[in-house]
Amino acid sequence: MSVVFALATPAAQSAICVFRVSGKGCLDAVEKIFNKPVQKHKTFCIRKLFHQGRVVDEVGVITFSGPNSYTGEDAFEVYGHGGLGVMSLIVEAFKGVGFEEAAPGEFTKRAFLNDKLSLNEAESVADIIESNNAEDVFLSSQSLAGDFTKKVIDFSKEIDFFRVRVEGEIDFSDEGEDFLDSMLVEDLGLLISNFELFVGACMNKKELSVKKKVLFIGPVNSGKSSVFNRLLGFERALVSSVPGTTRDLIESEVFYNNMSFSVSDSAGVRETEDLIEAKGIDLGISEVSKADVVVGIFDSSDEGVINKFREISAERVFLAVYNKLDLSKADKKLFDCCVSAKTGEGFDHFKKVLGGAFINKDIRDYDYLVRERHIDLFNKTISSLKSAEKRLLDNDAMELAAEDLRISRAYIGDVVGVKTSDSLLGDIFSSFCIGK
Amino acid sequence: MDKFDVIVVGGGHAGAEAAHAVFRSGLKCALVTFEREKIGQMSCNPAIGGLGKSHIVREIDAMGGIMPIATDMSGIQYRTLNTRKGDAVQALRVQCDRNLYKKAIQKIISKTNIQIFEEEVEDLLIQKNSVKGVITKNKTILGSKTILTTGTFLNGKMYKGDEITEGGRIGDSSSKPLSKKLYSLRLPMGRLKTGTPARIKLSSLDLSVMEEQPGESPTPFMSLTQEVKKHQKQLSCYITRTNPKTHKIISKNTHLSAMYSGNISGIGPRYCPSIEDKVYKFKSKESHQIFIEPEGINKDLVYPNGISTSLPKKIQEEFIYSIKGLENSKIEEYGYAVEYDFVDPRSIKKTLETKFLSDFYLAGQINGTTGYEEAAAQGLMAGINASNKIQKRKEFILERSESYIGVMIYDLTNHGITEPYRMFTSRAEHRLLLSQNNAEQRLLTKAYKQNIVCESRLNNFLKKEDDYKRFFTNQLEKVKIKNFKNKKNNTIELNEKRSISSILARPDVDETKIFKTNKDTIEFFKRASTEIKYKGYIEKQLREINKNKKQNRKKIPENIDYKNISGLSNEVVEKLLKSKPDTIGSASLIEGVTPAAINLILVNIKKTELEKINA
Repeated sequence: MSVVFALATPAAQSAICVFRVSGKGCLDAVEKIFNKPVQKHKTFCIRKLFHQGRVVDEVGVITFSGPNSYTGEDAFEVYGHGGLGVMSLIVEAFKGVGFEEAAPGEFTKRAFLNDKLSLNEAESVADIIESNNAEDVFLSSQSLAGDFTKKVIDFSKEIDFFRVRVEGEIDFSDEGEDFLDSMLVEDLGLLISNFELFVGACMNKKELSVKKKVLFIGPVNSGKSSVFNRLLGFERALVSSVPGTTRDLIESEVFYNNMSFSVSDSAGVRETEDLIEAKGIDLGISEVSKADVVVGIFDSSDEGVINKFREISAERVFLAVYNKLDLSKADKKLFDCCVSAKTGEGFDHFKKVLGGAFINKDIRDYDYLVRERHIDLFNKTISSLKSAEKRLLDNDAMELAAEDLRISRAYIGDVVGVKTSDSLLGDIFSSFCIGK
Repeated sequence: MDKFDVIVVGGGHAGAEAAHAVFRSGLKCALVTFEREKIGQMSCNPAIGGLGKSHIVREIDAMGGIMPIATDMSGIQYRTLNTRKGDAVQALRVQCDRNLYKKAIQKIISKTNIQIFEEEVEDLLIQKNSVKGVITKNKTILGSKTILTTGTFLNGKMYKGDEITEGGRIGDSSSKPLSKKLYSLRLPMGRLKTGTPARIKLSSLDLSVMEEQPGESPTPFMSLTQEVKKHQKQLSCYITRTNPKTHKIISKNTHLSAMYSGNISGIGPRYCPSIEDKVYKFKSKESHQIFIEPEGINKDLVYPNGISTSLPKKIQEEFIYSIKGLENSKIEEYGYAVEYDFVDPRSIKKTLETKFLSDFYLAGQINGTTGYEEAAAQGLMAGINASNKIQKRKEFILERSESYIGVMIYDLTNHGITEPYRMFTSRAEHRLLLSQNNAEQRLLTKAYKQNIVCESRLNNFLKKEDDYKRFFTNQLEKVKIKNFKNKKNNTIELNEKRSISSILARPDVDETKIFKTNKDTIEFFKRASTEIKYKGYIEKQLREINKNKKQNRKKIPENIDYKNISGLSNEVVEKLLKSKPDTIGSASLIEGVTPAAINLILVNIKKTELEKINA
């Protein structure tokens, strides 16, 4: 079994992050990433983690020798600082030593196959794999899911087209057929650029959850910080009834439905006077341009005020939220949702609206939301195709060009399944007259 | 009554190789065949090797087999194919003198204790689901193991237009009672077909209007054993082509072909179509190549490769006369299609022992393959495994990543066949590891442990490996140079001196100029530069092989209920039900089966195992 890793904590800013790594040989690889050997079985130690010769983070490491581990294989865990930058560098470091990102349900599957889980516990394993399989192509609408798979199948068929020619030239070179016409390399170049465009239109699901920003703005004392805190579930922003209390931008994370939003709470904007008054307010407005979704929090149904904020956020997705539902009813037509930070009323609906808002925003920029694993595979497909292109262009070792093409097709096979040699040969025989 | 360790039924390429392997294992073998005179007969075109096939022959060679030696004893033209491509896909093809080849095999067999019976096997002696021997018209022969290599003879029928004759080869009869016997055992059987062209007198051809294709020089050897020291006289092949007139004659008469009139139910190979097939399916092609292959050194006969047919005699004459250089052809034998029984190879194990009867092995065309080389390889493997079972050694199974033979047996036993199975290099996903030139490195030591290769051969090989290592270290690794010539013949200056071996890794280097080879080092240098060039790819492949090794070996229980594994698509379930893979590795090689599906199957197997324990 290969060595796999996964982030065990959410992909979000937090105090610490935990990575799990499992697979035969993973303990041999640790010396390539840490400054000195790690402690034996089940002993915690602090080490420096390196990537490309530079320290990434000082981390805690604990190792488990198989079969005495969760998966039953050799395994270790890394406790790092919870910054997003650190996490992505740890990922790079792992990939650098040949670890692979775990497929959905991979750890549980391994634990199960190695007799580490009971039958009851294991009942869910198939569900995990199955549900994630269906979700592999994670999209906002079903119709796009079909389209995505179709696109990948089309690309796989195009790769097969080139394989038919190159394999034909290798196995049937004395048959008097022209397998490699002059346009072949050019056509392959075209396929590569089309595929690159396609990958460009694939939004990495993980990227989506770490990069997207939600900004809270609104009139002074409309309850932005209260709503923010209620959404986060704890007192993060300093809440006060004195206007202008929130001076600096406060950021935190919200998780909902597998999505994480980075939420910023800004100082209030005094609508009655000059718009720019305090530093915090200034910050709030300049943040609008960095946000993906702007949430305006209001304590009255004053359409003029709401529109003013809508104008500030004209370039963004704007949600108007009425806060003080506990005090008085709102004019529902003016708002996307109505809540009470004090009682918590309406927050479920608010989260849903918020989640929906930022998906819609993404669909405008990207056609497909897919797993990072797939983006990885697609990028590998492209680099193998490019290698094949170069070899064909230089007329150098056709069997290696064929191998590049085979590998590129195998990567895509993770989504569409393998192409058997028999069926490839079938394609050769139906396209070319072979046989003496 | 005669009693043997192993009985081999059939004296073709599979049978001869099987019998000889049994002999090398030190056991006593009976070879039962129609005619002693026909042992080792080439029934189709007189050539051994080619892409994927020479690879197999070299593997047979590395395991002490006889086909490569007989090839060198009878070879009359040697050509290496794909010389402009890399080592892994180069292949040697040898035209043989048909008669000398057969004589060579017979000579090799005669030097053994193999006992030949000129008999027709009509029945099997079966006790408690195990085959104990064979029954011929005249006698019963007892054997602890029986290997069946019936070729095209099992209920063989030959077709020329509407003319149908019984027999597995022109001039020979067919084996009907045995076919009946196998059908009565209710085995999964079917019919396959193959075809041959007419044979024409060499003296009636006008070779001057054809393109001559001489053999290569210096003439290489098929066998690396160096047992054959001197080649036969070398001859040329010739190339001519069909033309629109030929095609017109054929298309006008296609309906008269046995293949098209509906007489033949067997499936023919798509890569070896009859000329009527080629004309019908590829209408836009105005011309097809024909290779005129000499039948032998003093033989006034050629094999026109490329125009196999089952058209009636008269039409055969008509279209042959329309071809350049063949206008005055004297046809000695007419082309025909032959149809024969085969057994679905999914009903045999990887040892080639059948799943339905123990101590009973099938090898060669009866398993749905075509080609002398494919047959010989199966004969060899069946011979080794039958002997191993007697001598209580472990099963001998070759992996896909170590041999073409492994690829073939995997494919046959896992996926079955949809047409006669022939080897091509593209069938091997680990092709870069499987060169015709490294077969000894892959298999010789293994074969030695199977008791089928003698010690002196092993020692020669080990010595050669040592020499190679020394050559590599002393002449490539330790020698450092400051500049080299690239492929455009420009001199490239390096910042510092570097070893020849490290410079060879560069794609731009001109290999022919960086190292002066002589006759002692030329092969070593070729090997080294290939190994260096392939290194990155091969490391990647080895990682791939090792990654899922354990998982791939996991057996799938025969009673697995794919329909009840939730999450598997109907399409995948159907494919799994059809090919009934025996291991996870085999399942993952089925088209359209994704890694996620494999995970679901793995989990299901484990779950079933646990339920059994808990119950």
